[in-house]
Amino acid sequence: MAEQKIAKIVVDRNLCIGAATCVVTAGTVFELDGENKAVILQQGGTKNSGPAKRAVLKDAAVADATILAAAQSCPTRAIFLYDAAEKQIFP
Amino acid sequence: MMQRKNKSFPKSKTTEVKYLIIGGGVAGTTAAETIRERDATGSITIVSDEPYRLYSRIMLSKPNFFLGKIPFEQIWLKSESWYTDKRITFMPGTRAQTLDAENQQVTLSNGMVFRYEKLLLAVGVLPNAWQVPGSDRRGVNQLRTLDDAKVIIQGIKRVKHAVCIGSGFTTFEMCDMLRMAGVDVTVVMREPHYWDPLLDSVSGGLIEQAMVKGGVKIVRQALVKTVDGGRSVTGVTLESGEKIPCSMVIAGVGTYVPCDWVKTGGVAVNRGILANEYLETNFSNIWTAGDCAEFNDLILEEQLVLGNWANSRQQGALAGGNMVGGRTAFKMVSFYTANGFDITIAFVGDVRAKDRQVIVRGSSAQGFYIRLIVDDHDEIAGATFINKTPEMAPVSKLIETNVKVSPIRPQLEDPAFDLHKLVS
Repeated sequence: MAEQKIAKIVVDRNLCIGAATCVVTAGTVFELDGENKAVILQQGGTKNSGPAKRAVLKDAAVADATILAAAQSCPTRAIFLYDAAEKQIFP
Repeated sequence: MMQRKNKSFPKSKTTEVKYLIIGGGVAGTTAAETIRERDATGSITIVSDEPYRLYSRIMLSKPNFFLGKIPFEQIWLKSESWYTDKRITFMPGTRAQTLDAENQQVTLSNGMVFRYEKLLLAVGVLPNAWQVPGSDRRGVNQLRTLDDAKVIIQGIKRVKHAVCIGSGFTTFEMCDMLRMAGVDVTVVMREPHYWDPLLDSVSGGLIEQAMVKGGVKIVRQALVKTVDGGRSVTGVTLESGEKIPCSMVIAGVGTYVPCDWVKTGGVAVNRGILANEYLETNFSNIWTAGDCAEFNDLILEEQLVLGNWANSRQQGALAGGNMVGGRTAFKMVSFYTANGFDITIAFVGDVRAKDRQVIVRGSSAQGFYIRLIVDDHDEIAGATFINKTPEMAPVSKLIETNVKVSPIRPQLEDPAFDLHKLVS
């Protein structure tokens, strides 16, 4: 497995406009909810905008590059990524 | 496929570039970014007819942006130094005027002539001009660019009543923004219901109900005869004779691909710039991406023009990769969403019902309504969702995997059935 630097994902629901680029880029990690906002797919059927730890993602094997590409593709930069030391990796 | 290689060119006044990109939006910029990742030294030039670096065009119609709830700075998606850091020559405020595909040349509005090795046409779309007597008065707006948005942002501070023309995404979001800003709004639309013919009357009716509840007045099957006033607009007169006072008009009456110059240059066009699944045009060294591309959609098996952010970005990345020697086919189910007035709208795939079968889930009374559009191959081509966006993910999976409809029709027709169960 590739190195997993991303430890936590948060979607800022005030910024999210439901453009769904994250769903296109990382469909095993993101989905849109009933308010057209991005939610993070987690184990046990949990879906919310986070903060969600990497360890609880439904797709445990998803690559860092896929999550990062999803965050980078967001037209409002609403997806925030953090490492294990809580340092913001993106944006 | 045609490509001339060893032809001699006039040497004077011609700038040589390896990758020439026409269009500085998300498709063109993402293509440039992808090219640079894979070709560290090849020269790249982006020509943009707007004066700004890449910004979030999709944000322009969002009420939170208009009303300052999202900081203005959030609109910029690239820093000013990004272009020089990536060794990309950025030419803002410049328009491509002529193309000579045979001789691999593009002439710009500033007189420069470029000879390219590889060309990307990512020119986007322009709003259809809304022209009636008086539509040149101050206060009549159309929304495409950041400058257009700035004019509207300034204008709403002084406006008490606005008229929106048309029944699409832009009008929906503009109405939401105007109501949030405390402006009285009347929508004047030619159609019998909102978004006809893309949506049926039930879907359109749900949207209209939400807008009316939010304080919007809707006038259906109506055309504006004149825009009245002096230098500035003071109202509109409809064909029926009805007069609606207003100090702002926002017209959203569809878009077109500005591709006459491309066609004159030898590239095949239809509604958009024609391309195969690799986003190559009829010239093997010219690609197209984004809103302007009419490409061979492998999932839907038809030539398609799609106008949305996710599609433009993915196509830009793919075209960029193919320009540096890749050979990847574009395969993506497209999304578009909007929300406002306490209602959510989502489109996925090809939502044109034409004469296709439509499977309906939910009803006006239930408060949600889904239309699954089934094509001649017994597969879902697209779907529209009112107040049911969470079902977009499983439906897009069904589209992507070309699942046959007949065996699962009972589940699809049962609004209580969770569609996620079909794809998990």
